[in-house]
Amino acid sequence: MSAPRLHWMRGRSEEGPGIARALEWIGLDDAGKAIARVVRLKGPIWANWRQYRAVALDDEAKVVELRPTPPEGADWLACVGERVVGRAAVPLAAVRTVEEALNGD
Amino acid sequence: MAATDLARIRNIGITAHIDAGKTTTTERILYYTGMSHRIGEVHEGNTTTDYMEQERERGITITSAAVTCEWKNHRINIIDTPGHIDFNIEVNRSLRVLDGAVFIIEGVAGVQPQSETNWRLADRYNVPRIIFINKLDRTGADFFRAFATLKEKLDIVALPLQLPIGIEDKFIGVVDLVEQKAIVWEGGELGAKYHDEPIPADLIEQAKEYRQNLLDTALAVDDAAMEEYFDKGDVSVETLKRCIKAGTISGAFRPVLCGTAFKNKGVQPLLDAVVDYLPSPVDVPGIKVAAGEGEDETAERRRIKADPNAPFAGLAFKIINDKYGTLTFVRVYSGTLKSGDTVLNTTRGHRERIGRMFQMHADKRQEIKEVVAGDIAAFVGLKDTGTGDTLAAAEDPVVLERMAFPVPVIDISVEPKTKESIEKMSIGLQKLAAEDPSLRLRTDQETGQTILSGMGELHLEIIIDRLKREYGVEANIGAPQVAYRETITRAHTETYTHKKQTGGSGQYAEVKITFEPLERNGGVVFENAVVGGAVPKEYIPAVEKGIKAQAETGVLAGFPTVDFKFTLVDGKYHDVDSSALAFEIAAKACFRDGMKKASPIILEPVMDVEITTPQDHVGDVVGDLNRRRGMIQNQESSGSTVIVRAHVPLKEMFGYISDLRSMTKGRASFTMQFHHYDPVPRNIADEIMAKSA
Repeated sequence: MSAPRLHWMRGRSEEGPGIARALEWIGLDDAGKAIARVVRLKGPIWANWRQYRAVALDDEAKVVELRPTPPEGADWLACVGERVVGRAAVPLAAVRTVEEALNGD
Repeated sequence: MAATDLARIRNIGITAHIDAGKTTTTERILYYTGMSHRIGEVHEGNTTTDYMEQERERGITITSAAVTCEWKNHRINIIDTPGHIDFNIEVNRSLRVLDGAVFIIEGVAGVQPQSETNWRLADRYNVPRIIFINKLDRTGADFFRAFATLKEKLDIVALPLQLPIGIEDKFIGVVDLVEQKAIVWEGGELGAKYHDEPIPADLIEQAKEYRQNLLDTALAVDDAAMEEYFDKGDVSVETLKRCIKAGTISGAFRPVLCGTAFKNKGVQPLLDAVVDYLPSPVDVPGIKVAAGEGEDETAERRRIKADPNAPFAGLAFKIINDKYGTLTFVRVYSGTLKSGDTVLNTTRGHRERIGRMFQMHADKRQEIKEVVAGDIAAFVGLKDTGTGDTLAAAEDPVVLERMAFPVPVIDISVEPKTKESIEKMSIGLQKLAAEDPSLRLRTDQETGQTILSGMGELHLEIIIDRLKREYGVEANIGAPQVAYRETITRAHTETYTHKKQTGGSGQYAEVKITFEPLERNGGVVFENAVVGGAVPKEYIPAVEKGIKAQAETGVLAGFPTVDFKFTLVDGKYHDVDSSALAFEIAAKACFRDGMKKASPIILEPVMDVEITTPQDHVGDVVGDLNRRRGMIQNQESSGSTVIVRAHVPLKEMFGYISDLRSMTKGRASFTMQFHHYDPVPRNIADEIMAKSA
């Protein structure tokens, strides 16, 4: 992977016991503006008497349900702005997907 | 020993399918670490870990052997385990007490059945592991094909840390993806000389691709490493190694290395990986204490952490009897123990005095005065401690999680050739059974014969051979018999009254027992549902004892009865004439009458059989399996060979190897292991019952 085009920083972290793991990584442009995110999918989750197969947090930290459920091994969403540009099993691969999408823009 | 010293201990096992190269790899490890001054070879019968006469004669590992070596200022305790399924108990108990394992996969065949079985065992005990794809010098070897079988058969995230340079007779070394260099062996000096060089030009692109995959996967376990990557565009070797170790311990991925132990290439980097990525005793969460009576098996329970200053706790995982007496191998989980100390056997509830202690090097031993948390040692002179027992300090008498043992599937009858040897045989067999929990010994109540039950023909053959060599007893053995079981298929409640009044004090006991079928592997379960003291509580254990004893001889053909529950629901007693013996007799008779009315059936062991055959013999092999009542599970092509997998009743598999050889002109091979028990078809059940009548 060539050097990242964006500046990536840790976003929200998982709550709960143990080491807090990042739930998202935020890509900033040179002006420091957040223009991309890679987001970890969670699920299945039970809430309001319903099971959600896969959910993610949007950039306002609201829970969003994903439909259809992403295939197995696609735990990270690569997002540029509001647009989902790909999925990956691991965050670095999702970051690469974002960078490739931006390079292609 | 300080915590920093504990961090320099690795307790590892080396495990694989038969002939994948476990012992050969162990031999190289001992040579390169300076523990031996020559390399032993399996085919020459002079390896360190295969020290038993039978192992050397047959070129197979039968018993797991512990050896200790030093590498880069770390102490590595290694247990080399057998590959043959008949000796799976050795793998089972070794994995139970180890902190990490090296799984050796054959570079030609990839993941084979025994690798799969052992992998599942390691899953059960959460053993962190690294994979070594071996034999890359062999004709037909293919690193990438073998690698693909890891995902296909084990369904894991396998992470290559190396790529091969060349293959088959052109295999010369490996590309190290962590340090981005090539390691090339120079030949000569038995592989001890190797050097680093730049990655060959024709592998640079492939190495880049695989290194990116390595970074993607490894860094995902550590956010700080991700930040380092975003800052610098790469990470330091230390950071990457830290991530690989964390992922290996958590099981997020399984690192893969490669080489050819027989041609002395790739073993030193494997040792580096053991030190760098497998956990020390302080890196693992600690062993769980056993669930208490009535406690949920899956509930979160206390764990014993490796701490030399905590009260002592250890697990006896292996027992051997040699000319010097009984040696009990113990994995110490916490505390420090000195010769002469006294500990509690918390499993059996008695005290044991620790005599001499040894660090074992295969069949050689070095006396030590103390043993500390994290280490493995052999104790001499324990009087009544069996495999799986916990030894603990009196101030914290914990019981550690017990080990699970496999079910024996083959029986043979044994009798000494001379009357004078009867006692010697009995002592010998009892000692062998104490060493090996997958070996069971019983007396047939009807014929009075001694019946030995084991994991397979080879297992029992070795036991009989050891009886002769180690105890001087020549024995006549019967033909191997399938270890059938009996069970019931519907519930039934039976009442039986045992009444005997022939002058003097009489006998009186009445029991009402409900017999119910349980799921397969449900065992024999007892429940006491008596209310109002209809059966006084001092007689309840006698009822349980009576049923369990009688269950050893089933009602159809005399085979042990399994997978049923019996509930004592009611009964009657007499103030004068009732006794524990009367209730035991009543329970036995109630079993004999009741089980007949609970639709009993006979169960037979069904084996998971895998046959590797050349393409042109597939038709013969499959046809033959059908004749043996086999159910074909799948067929896979791998080059010019086909792997056929089937479930076949064990009864139909006796002598299969010679039939297979003649059918395929000796070109096919097979392995099999116990899979499950199934009801036998009616016609065969009739045959079995007629034989036992």
